[in-house]
Amino acid sequence: MDEAVPDTLSLEELRRRLVEAEDTLRAIREGDADAVVVRNANEDTVFALSGGQESYRAIMEAMDIGAIALDDQGRVLYANAAFCALIGCAATQLQHLPIFEKLDANSAQVVRETIEQARHGRHQVQFVQSHRGSNRHLMVTAAPLPMAFGTGCALTFSDVTARVEAAALEESERIGEAVIASANEAVVVCDRAGNIIKANAAASALMPGEAIGRHFTDALPLAFAEDGGISTSDGLLDLAAAGSAARGVEAFAFHPDARKDLLVSVAPLRVSGETIGGSVITLVDLSERKAFEKRQTLMMHELDHRVKNTLAMVLSICGRTLAGSDSLEEFRLRFTRRIQALAATHSLLADASWAGIDLAALIETELAPYVSAAGPHLAVSKLERTVAPDVAIAFGLVVHELATNAVKYGALSAENGKVTVSGATLNGNLYEVVWAESGGPPVTPPIRQGFGQTLITRSLARGEGTGATVDFAPDGVVCRMVLPIEVET
Amino acid sequence: MNKPKELTLYVAGQTPKSVAAIRNLEKICAEHLDSSYVVKVVDLKENPRLAREHNIVAIPTLVRQLPVPIQKIIGDLSDTEKVLVHLQLGDPA
Repeated sequence: MDEAVPDTLSLEELRRRLVEAEDTLRAIREGDADAVVVRNANEDTVFALSGGQESYRAIMEAMDIGAIALDDQGRVLYANAAFCALIGCAATQLQHLPIFEKLDANSAQVVRETIEQARHGRHQVQFVQSHRGSNRHLMVTAAPLPMAFGTGCALTFSDVTARVEAAALEESERIGEAVIASANEAVVVCDRAGNIIKANAAASALMPGEAIGRHFTDALPLAFAEDGGISTSDGLLDLAAAGSAARGVEAFAFHPDARKDLLVSVAPLRVSGETIGGSVITLVDLSERKAFEKRQTLMMHELDHRVKNTLAMVLSICGRTLAGSDSLEEFRLRFTRRIQALAATHSLLADASWAGIDLAALIETELAPYVSAAGPHLAVSKLERTVAPDVAIAFGLVVHELATNAVKYGALSAENGKVTVSGATLNGNLYEVVWAESGGPPVTPPIRQGFGQTLITRSLARGEGTGATVDFAPDGVVCRMVLPIEVET
Repeated sequence: MNKPKELTLYVAGQTPKSVAAIRNLEKICAEHLDSSYVVKVVDLKENPRLAREHNIVAIPTLVRQLPVPIQKIIGDLSDTEKVLVHLQLGDPA
């Protein structure tokens, strides 16, 4: 039943309704009612009177997000406690004043732009504000606020500094982890007690078993070089705990497989500011470098030895060539050729890294100035045997002397002359090489033994059974040489 | 034979005065009214349109429908005497 629109009303009814209306108004005014029904054409709505707005206000005051309502001129209509605390200003100091006057220039500009953007809908911006000598990150959200006259703006401010810093810290930690993981050097991070809290893959490879949680001295026992200033792993940790650092201390680790030479550095782990949270130890594996240095040192000694031997040999060749020469020109020619023969053998040895060379290659190289290995004047067979460098040098010089004799007086001086060089195994590591000349002019033994012949007969002597003999047979010189060869293992 | 007696209390959800009115009405019924009264509670928050029947504007309102004439009292019914007198409830003696 709807009493709103009867056609006619009695005076009594009108009086009753008036009393009722007055009673309703009184009840609302005096707070007897806390809700009203508002009747519209289509629907009726219940509104809470008191308490509702207060509830909203209580919520606004209780929340830790700063909230303000501005009119269309940017003047503050309402500011909650969180906002007042955020800008350090009492609510009464904000009332009806433009908000921009209470903000620094940068923040005012950001807020102004955010409000402008919010004309078309909710808009959110994060910005950095200088606050008491440091920066803080604020998130401002603006939304249009319909009002009786015009449209204001509702703004909320959240201090997201902690969140931003936590995210930055997390990112920083992530990068730190990546740096440690990517480092080629072994990196170990220990806490103040010296227990390992982080170890990258390179470090884990040095330490058998699980390293995390173990004390550094147990996980990786180290022995330090005596002159390094640090004698124990504990000394290393103590140094970092005292805020000092050390670089490039030589040490070695007792690795199960092999001794590991290491270059150890230590630095204090500064967690925040000057607080030392432990130590960062980096270890560079020097094993390969040490092995290389050892090889290099050996090679230097070997080179020194060879150079001395070679110089002694050159001096000897020089003296003996001079003694056997009738003129300076003859000396120059013979000396030069002998040194060239020596140089040719050296070249072959250098190409083979001084690891020994093949007799056939040596013969061909030494005879190359006089006769081609492919031609009819030379036949080489069964000489594919390797000899040590010192034997190779002596053999090279012997072949040179035989060749020069053959060119001057023997088979290689005649058109149909021929040199045959062949090899045969004797026993163990001894090998016989026979130089036989044929087709040359008739041979007559020399009247005196020159340097060449001395060199041939003496220089190949390398212990029992070795050496060389020369037979000046009428049909051609025959030289038998017995050499130690490298036995393949 | 007793005439029918009907009371309707209009409330709006759990507003403080609605809750207090319900509590006070229960107390009044228990202490002052006999079993001849039929009491209804209407929550206008759930169905605002029901306010139209008795032209309710302010909440809470207690309406005595029967016996006629209709009587209304607005408030949380904390003043029991006022309620009894205003709505002419209970034993007139």
